[in-house]
Amino acid sequence: MQTFLQQVINGLSLGSIYALLALGYTMVYGIIKLINFAHGDIYMIGAFWGYYVINTYHVDFFVALLSSMVVTAGLGMLIEFLAYRPLRHSPRITALITAIGVSYFLENGMSFLFGANTRDFPQAVAQRNYQVAGITVSNIQVLILVTAVILMVGLQLIVQKTKMGTAMRAVAVDPEAAALVGIDPNHVISFTFGLGSALAGAGGVLIGLYYNSIDPLMGMTPGIKAFVAAVVGGIGSIPGAAIGGFLIGLLETGVQAIGLSAYKDAAVYVVLIVILVILPSGLLGKNVKEKV
Amino acid sequence: MPLLTVTGLSKRFGGLDAVADIDMHVDEGELVALIGPNGAGKTTLFNLLTGVTPPTSGTITLDVAGQSVSLIGKPPYQVAKMGLARTFQNIRLFARLTVRENIQAAMTHRYTENFFAQILRLPAYYRKEQLVATWTDALLTAFDLTDVADLDADNLPYGTQRRVEIARAVATQPKIIFLDEPAAGMNPEETAALTALIRRLRSEFHLTVVLIEHDMSLVMNLAERIYVLEHGKLIATGTPAAIQQDEAVIAAYLGGGVHA
Amino acid sequence: MATKWKAALAWLAIAVFGFVLINVLIVVGVVDAFIENMLVTIGINIILATGLNLIIGFSGQFSLGHAGFMAVGAYATAIITSSMPTVFGFYLSMAVGILIAMGVAVIIGVPTLRLRGDYLAIATMGAAEIIRVILNNLKITNGAAGMFNIPALAGWPTVYVLVCLTTLMIVNFARSRAGRAIQAIREDEIAAEASGIDPTKWKLAAFVMGGATAAIGGSLHAVYIQTIAPSDFGIMNSIAILIIVVLGGVGSMTGTFMAAIVLGVLDTVLQSFGPLRMVIYALALILIMVFKPSGLLGRYEVSIRAWFDRKGGQHATSNSDRSE
Repeated sequence: MQTFLQQVINGLSLGSIYALLALGYTMVYGIIKLINFAHGDIYMIGAFWGYYVINTYHVDFFVALLSSMVVTAGLGMLIEFLAYRPLRHSPRITALITAIGVSYFLENGMSFLFGANTRDFPQAVAQRNYQVAGITVSNIQVLILVTAVILMVGLQLIVQKTKMGTAMRAVAVDPEAAALVGIDPNHVISFTFGLGSALAGAGGVLIGLYYNSIDPLMGMTPGIKAFVAAVVGGIGSIPGAAIGGFLIGLLETGVQAIGLSAYKDAAVYVVLIVILVILPSGLLGKNVKEKV
Repeated sequence: MPLLTVTGLSKRFGGLDAVADIDMHVDEGELVALIGPNGAGKTTLFNLLTGVTPPTSGTITLDVAGQSVSLIGKPPYQVAKMGLARTFQNIRLFARLTVRENIQAAMTHRYTENFFAQILRLPAYYRKEQLVATWTDALLTAFDLTDVADLDADNLPYGTQRRVEIARAVATQPKIIFLDEPAAGMNPEETAALTALIRRLRSEFHLTVVLIEHDMSLVMNLAERIYVLEHGKLIATGTPAAIQQDEAVIAAYLGGGVHA
Repeated sequence: MATKWKAALAWLAIAVFGFVLINVLIVVGVVDAFIENMLVTIGINIILATGLNLIIGFSGQFSLGHAGFMAVGAYATAIITSSMPTVFGFYLSMAVGILIAMGVAVIIGVPTLRLRGDYLAIATMGAAEIIRVILNNLKITNGAAGMFNIPALAGWPTVYVLVCLTTLMIVNFARSRAGRAIQAIREDEIAAEASGIDPTKWKLAAFVMGGATAAIGGSLHAVYIQTIAPSDFGIMNSIAILIIVVLGGVGSMTGTFMAAIVLGVLDTVLQSFGPLRMVIYALALILIMVFKPSGLLGRYEVSIRAWFDRKGGQHATSNSDRSE
């Protein structure tokens, strides 16, 4: 029971990172139907920004987190403007390949400028472990979970309660109708990229703190896992992405805990395929049947 | 025995009876029309008959060489293979294929060769392609599509697209062809040409025709028998003359009577 | 009918000419080992990408797991040739790889090909990753370390001939009854089904055909590179093949050839740029996509037969395919 709860705590910590990333995927996909392959690399840039400001300016963790969110939001909007906006009316597969190009560019650009080596993330928050009922919980895990939940609640408030959020939902349902009622889709899409990228940036700083190491390729695997999480949750659905993220995190740590760590990726994909076969639009996605 | 027999056919969509307890039959060589106000369930009935939507209850049987074969539970491609072809209310062509390819694609199940003959271009492949080509040419000529044969389907004017869709349905070599509002969006001249074309489906291609149509002149002109649907139920059936006099039809649907 | 044979002969002549040309260039020393390596890589990429283009461009199914099928072929060859290091062993292993890949394609395809668009992409990607994880953990495949000292049983001539053969088969498939069926499904699945086309069967046929040719590519990769590891067949490798397809133009086999060649040459040229190589590659990719969104050739195909038809002033005969 104790080890089980321990794994749940570990799984939730990892899962909250996946969830933060999955939210960005799901929002962007929901609005322009693009698998933003570069999203994992935004997360990497977020981690590097945190590394940079903490080491250079010795700022505290929250300043690093918030500034990283601002920087990645700007970067996300810039990428959208330069690389995706010209392709708004092109085949979707073209935009996908462009996103892959952006991903390669960020990964290799960072490797080129700062070296491909792994580096230690500064310990901006000293790690402390607490024993609660035989389970070890670190303050960093608590910090990750709390931060992630606050961000998710904040996102939900933005999407449901603000004017911009309403516009986002409108554009996701029908961009042309939204444009007719005076919503500028470009603004909304830009805002969506900013919002999603900010969450990815936050995820990057949090994972740096959790794993203590960062490198230019760190976004690849979590990026793909987070996309899987978004699909499992039902792509386009914000609560679905959060649930998917936690689910994948728990699954991975669970499979690892029973000694099958070599198969943890396979387990994730088996679950993905099984869920899609049973629910072709994921857990919370809407299954739209074509009308004849 | 009628060619197609339908008994007690119903479809419920979440508590709503889209089609309820339909009994109908279509005889070989008949020209039958299905009319009714918008939302009466006509297209749903077509979808049930062609296997696109599974019915909630009821039977659909086809006469195949004296045997009645149930169509319930068969996927649309099998229903098509058994001889029920259709067109769609909102034309569904293979947009980026040429007219010729649209027609040839519909012969996939009619003229076959094995896989190796196909990829190794063995003589069987050429023999089969010859049959496909002959039948395609016959259809292109019959539907006056020869001039546009090698154009992409989505570049054609609306009326031509309708013709291509009918030609594609005929290419499957059906027994019955279901036409879902073939005259929608056509001007009077095009409608007249279409009327002649539908007559030829029967005289030249020996098809049984069932059509949904709002254009009453076309219906009264063409159909030998009419089924009237309202709120998913059959409210009348009979010859055009009888339908025009039918109290229930006039009250429920036509309001002021039928004027051709 | 005559143009059919003329066109076939013309293609044969081109193939033979290309073969002789490469031979001559090797003899006179223009093509050194470095360039030969490039040519083989291009050839293998053509085999992989034409198969993927059949799946994506013709049947319209977005598969993102092509490297998984390649892995099946590569490992079949590595394992079988380790006990049968002969040319016969190589072809036997290729046949075994093809059969296994076809079986795997059926197992993956039956449940997943019902999915639409990006959901299918992510499911096939997952399936390919499962294959990779399995290869990573089996004893017979030597785990994550992979297999090395695979006998060099194929050089560029074998690759060249197989490029010609697989292309011929894929193009024949795409330009026949099967090709019309899968393109009809791509355009409108509901209308295709109403026209008597079984969507599951034909989608699966294209998927299996693509998987089989990918296995051929994998076999060649194994005996040419002589070292394989599960990490050679990851998501990024599937994406690399996808890039060739999209860059050339989805649905254009000619485009696939061109993109494979352009990327192969670009890659070789960029070798001298060291660490900047991938940055330039990424930028080139983004720029090509932004300025040429439908790929280098769009849906255009080179067709000798159409050329003969035009030259002869004949009206396109009714039984001629649009291009062959």
